[in-house]
Amino acid sequence: MKSEKTLTGQLLSNPVPVDSSTVLLSAGSLRHFGEFMVPIAVLLALWELVARFGGLPPSLFPPLEDIFRALLKMSGDGHLAADLAGTFTRLFQSIAIGAVFGTIVGTCMGHFRMWERALVVPMNFLLAIPGTALFPLTMIWFGLTEAAIISILIYEVALTVTVMTWTGVKSIDNSLIRAGRVFGANGLSMLWRVLIPAAMPSIISGYRIAFSRAWRILIIAEMLVSVSAGLGYRLYFAREYFQYDMVYAGLFVVGMSGLLIERVILRTMESMTVNRWGTVRELK
Amino acid sequence: MGELRVEQLSKAFPTAQKWGRSKWHTIFNNLQFSIKSGEFVCVIGPSGCGKSTLLSIAAGLEEASSGSVYVNDSPVRGPGLDRGVVFQEFALFPWLTVRGNIAFGLKSKGVPQAEVLARADKYVDLVGLSKFADYYPSRLSGGMRQRVGLGRALAIEPSVLLMDEPFGALDALTRENMQLVLSDIWQETRKTVLFITHDIDEAVFLSDRVLVLNETPSRIVCELKIDLPRARDRSDPQFQRLVKQLDSAIRGDNNTTKHFGDN
Repeated sequence: MKSEKTLTGQLLSNPVPVDSSTVLLSAGSLRHFGEFMVPIAVLLALWELVARFGGLPPSLFPPLEDIFRALLKMSGDGHLAADLAGTFTRLFQSIAIGAVFGTIVGTCMGHFRMWERALVVPMNFLLAIPGTALFPLTMIWFGLTEAAIISILIYEVALTVTVMTWTGVKSIDNSLIRAGRVFGANGLSMLWRVLIPAAMPSIISGYRIAFSRAWRILIIAEMLVSVSAGLGYRLYFAREYFQYDMVYAGLFVVGMSGLLIERVILRTMESMTVNRWGTVRELK
Repeated sequence: MGELRVEQLSKAFPTAQKWGRSKWHTIFNNLQFSIKSGEFVCVIGPSGCGKSTLLSIAAGLEEASSGSVYVNDSPVRGPGLDRGVVFQEFALFPWLTVRGNIAFGLKSKGVPQAEVLARADKYVDLVGLSKFADYYPSRLSGGMRQRVGLGRALAIEPSVLLMDEPFGALDALTRENMQLVLSDIWQETRKTVLFITHDIDEAVFLSDRVLVLNETPSRIVCELKIDLPRARDRSDPQFQRLVKQLDSAIRGDNNTTKHFGDN
């Protein structure tokens, strides 16, 4: 090959192979582990100090031991598992529907002028209505049921993902779209072969915001609607029965679950796409 | 193989709007030339002369105000896989590997899956990137990225190759290197090429014929056949003479203009 000889003179900007194995928890090394464990340890120690020596009634500010015991009790009697299952089922059902809808509509809005013109005004109108404000309405429609919660989550997720995808697709470098057209992408294939992958950094940001919004609404919703199991329901129930340690344990589980979603699902999604492609900057 | 013909091509852009009436700025008027099958033609001209617009029209990415571009006697109506385009800004798909980028057009063409890989690999090889087939573009240097761009355009086996200042974004050393690569590949494949550049040296080094666009609105002020044997030597006095001739045609301060002029 004639051109091969000229290649040797070429400088590689970064001669590292890219097949880095997918990382589930991005904090792989021990040092990283320490970096994020230290603040947690400090926080726990402070908590314990205030609880033991702060002079507050232990029912309002229980020591870690009590919270841990409540946690054990919840997991022992199967409540925790049922609550987690209930909450996560609702979350994933609505995220799946809302994200697919939002990604498709947002992409079309970012690419086709007709879609944008038709949908920008209704979208901005709906953006002004918080999902939580729709509760009175969905309760009338669906009663105190799962559907009352899930419909609101879908609304919130779809709207968030639509906005983020729309702006993401609009800011795609025009040269990529030109290249896509030249090499035969049009209509639907333009959508899934060029626009969606090109807008992936914004789309994932959209999923991230949607997840956290849906999560917050979901916990509150489970307090309002009398479902039989769910983390929000558990918190409310614990307060009703003056089980304050269980309130704290419940909050702890809520926080941990959110953290796990971010770490396991969103980070994995990122490391499999935008990080691997190098379309977002990685901090050194 | 393919032939490209530009017939009575004009392009005007609307500029500032005043009282609802837009003014029109004519880029070029009644442009006319053709490229024979297997011929390598460079179009050079100062910035703003419309040479990139010309290529966009040929690629089907922009519409002409009047006139047409014909590829093998059929008029260009929008983008098509009979033309391979290499972009100045590379425009690689960052989510696809080198092989994936080169295979992109093949998939659009409806080439069966098994054949896509084999054919993509053939072109990965042709542009000298076999060791980097599984790399993502973000890991490649500028020169290597444009090799991918070249491979992607060649892989669809187009009738005509359209290159829009493909080495304009590269440093001087890499640019010369890439000119060699292209020269080698062209001698191997003998594609019909329309190559846009503002680099006179590059035009003389690569092409069979050079067209100079100049004046406003642009027209072909000079047409020059380059008969030097390949691979060409830049220090050759013949080479230097041609460069000088083109240089004065671009600057518009000459009498060669009339001598070689057309239209």
